[in-house]
Amino acid sequence: MSEDSTSTEHDSGAVRLVHPGERVGVHEGAEAGHGIRRINGELVAMRMGTLSDNGNTISVDPVSSRYVPRAGDLVIGLVEGMTNNIWFLDIGASFNAILPMSLAPWKVEFGAVREHLNVGEAVLCRVQEVDETHSSVATMKGMGLRKLKSGLLEEIPPHIIPQVIGQGGSMLQTLKDLGDCRLVIGQNGRVWIDGEHGGMHAVRAALKLIRDTAHLPGLKERINALANE
Amino acid sequence: MAIPIIPSLLRDNLAALAEDDQRLDGRARFAGRDLEIEIDCLYNAEGSCRVRMGDTIVFAGVKFQIMTPYPDRPTQGGLMTSAEIRPVCGPGWEPGPPSEESIEMGRVVDRGIRESGCINTTELCILPGEKAWQVILDLFAISDDGNMFDAFALAAIAALRTATVPAERFDVGEDYKLPVAGTPIMCSYQKVGGRFVYDASKREELGGDERIHITLGDEGHVHSLQKGLRGVFTADEFTEIMDTAQSRCAELREIVHKLEESQ
Amino acid sequence: MGYEDYQCMDENGIREDGRKADEMRPVEIECGVVPVADGSAYIRWGKNEAIAAVYGPMEAHPRKIQRQDRAILDVRYNMAPFSTSDRIRPGFNRRSREISKVTRDALESVVNLELYPRSKIRVEIEIICAEAGTRCCGITAASVALADAGIPMSDMVVSVAAGKCNGIVLMDLNKPEDNYGEADLPMGILPMTDELVFLQMDGDLSMDEFQLAWDYNVKAAHDVHVIMVEALQKRYGGDV
Repeated sequence: MSEDSTSTEHDSGAVRLVHPGERVGVHEGAEAGHGIRRINGELVAMRMGTLSDNGNTISVDPVSSRYVPRAGDLVIGLVEGMTNNIWFLDIGASFNAILPMSLAPWKVEFGAVREHLNVGEAVLCRVQEVDETHSSVATMKGMGLRKLKSGLLEEIPPHIIPQVIGQGGSMLQTLKDLGDCRLVIGQNGRVWIDGEHGGMHAVRAALKLIRDTAHLPGLKERINALANE
Repeated sequence: MAIPIIPSLLRDNLAALAEDDQRLDGRARFAGRDLEIEIDCLYNAEGSCRVRMGDTIVFAGVKFQIMTPYPDRPTQGGLMTSAEIRPVCGPGWEPGPPSEESIEMGRVVDRGIRESGCINTTELCILPGEKAWQVILDLFAISDDGNMFDAFALAAIAALRTATVPAERFDVGEDYKLPVAGTPIMCSYQKVGGRFVYDASKREELGGDERIHITLGDEGHVHSLQKGLRGVFTADEFTEIMDTAQSRCAELREIVHKLEESQ
Repeated sequence: MGYEDYQCMDENGIREDGRKADEMRPVEIECGVVPVADGSAYIRWGKNEAIAAVYGPMEAHPRKIQRQDRAILDVRYNMAPFSTSDRIRPGFNRRSREISKVTRDALESVVNLELYPRSKIRVEIEIICAEAGTRCCGITAASVALADAGIPMSDMVVSVAAGKCNGIVLMDLNKPEDNYGEADLPMGILPMTDELVFLQMDGDLSMDEFQLAWDYNVKAAHDVHVIMVEALQKRYGGDV
């Protein structure tokens, strides 16, 4: 996933949308990045998205994606179930994450998991480790990791997170100011918003605008226009 | 349907929004979502309608078959309603035999139409004792973003009122418009955040509680009611809902009549 | 098969729907038609109308259907009751089961399943209106829906059926030609390499006729592929 929040605005101004199977050139010496494979010497796009060329690596920024967990990711999880000493969290990936009792912030008696965290509740946690089958272990031991007791959750596709955050966090600040809200963006595309209703509604409208038009240039202007309304 | 996790934050939020007379998507309490409605959209059906309410999209198809009337009702044909909510329409809908939800939906929509008497089964007679028309109403969901009940009911009545009896194909005379007396309309209300709202979206449905489906006929008469899910409501709540249902049903009835005129 | 009275072509070589032997029916494709799905596509092909929706990847349940090394595709092809002239009773249908399976085999040949071990990807194909070639419409719509959902694939499968009627090889059979003709050859082609991932055949074709029908399918597949790409670009290209 590209960290460059303006990957759709290349110097040339042209955006190249590629589809699965499309040949994108030989690019001698370049590496095949995410969403690209080298077949018979030629680079081939493997998914729908915009072509990204940083000189050494050619990759595809996907138009649509499901979250793939990586160790260290800050995520917002929903409790789906539990046993006597672990919780199962839906983190929007192909698989649930496991939150073991030992990695919870509370001192939990064996069998008393439900008292601390119940089905349907939301938590801010971090992905501790991921195995090769994309199953992950989550932890709530860490700064700021906690149960979310107020506010609202929204979902955005993970590949537009860089644009929601913006260069140096600029877009994130714009959104916080827009709604006078607390805002946390999980790497799994879940967003936590907390504030007054009017403010939260404004932030949700801005997120929808970003979601619908992120791939088109001029995003900053559109958000500023919305803020001025 | 697979049991979805209901984030507790959602319920808390819906309650807080309700206290402020607000809804998740900014709608007024009894306002419906954007409505798109199109008739004659299924080439192989004798009557058809596609309804879109927000992101909920459904089809209703009307087809005819010839049946042998029951011995005790020799001059009567029949009306059969079948509702299919297939996995195509949402992540929570699983493959397999018809779910309780889809069976309930089909039967509730069917009763709304049947009890209004708008289809007179004696008018479906071809040859007494030998042949009569069976009208088959197939309700088919494409996308579920909440309140499929109303979408199905609206599509159903619009499809019926614009259907043509295919007498020529079955060699029993000339094609003619299916006689439908009346335009029963269904409005559904769900308790969300502690109060009843109209046309609940999927998230409101997930975080909401009991619901009530009301079918009203042309004169504002009540033709069918159904309460769904756990919960209670008061007589006052019911009166309030009935009042708003009368006006909304009238609006939707007008829309169906305009479609017929455009045919 | 074979019904002597039906004439698929008039004396000018024009078929019942106005086409020549080597012409396709008009095709339209639109993405994102099932808003709640991860990816979706609608296809209108002649009078056929099909919708495909994709959900996933997600954990494969029950456990026993999971594969440790790759994802599985869970494909359902179904015809709506009002899709044909005679109503189809909802419920288990053997033909639909078979088509679901061959569709799955075709799509599994291109999807990068190894990226999502132990998962499944649901592909739901619904035929809203049928007029010959519904399995081809289904596979084609499913390919677009998978691309729309961002599922990685080595190419998109394009499926089309040529055949023979009154002894003449025809591109893209319509309903009477399919019903009364002597042969039917549906294929699923990868347009970037002209490789085959789906192939069925019914009837009687000489080797020359078979070759011509094959060539017709490949040509038609390339034409449809252009429309598929345009539909995807329209969805994501915006006004750019």
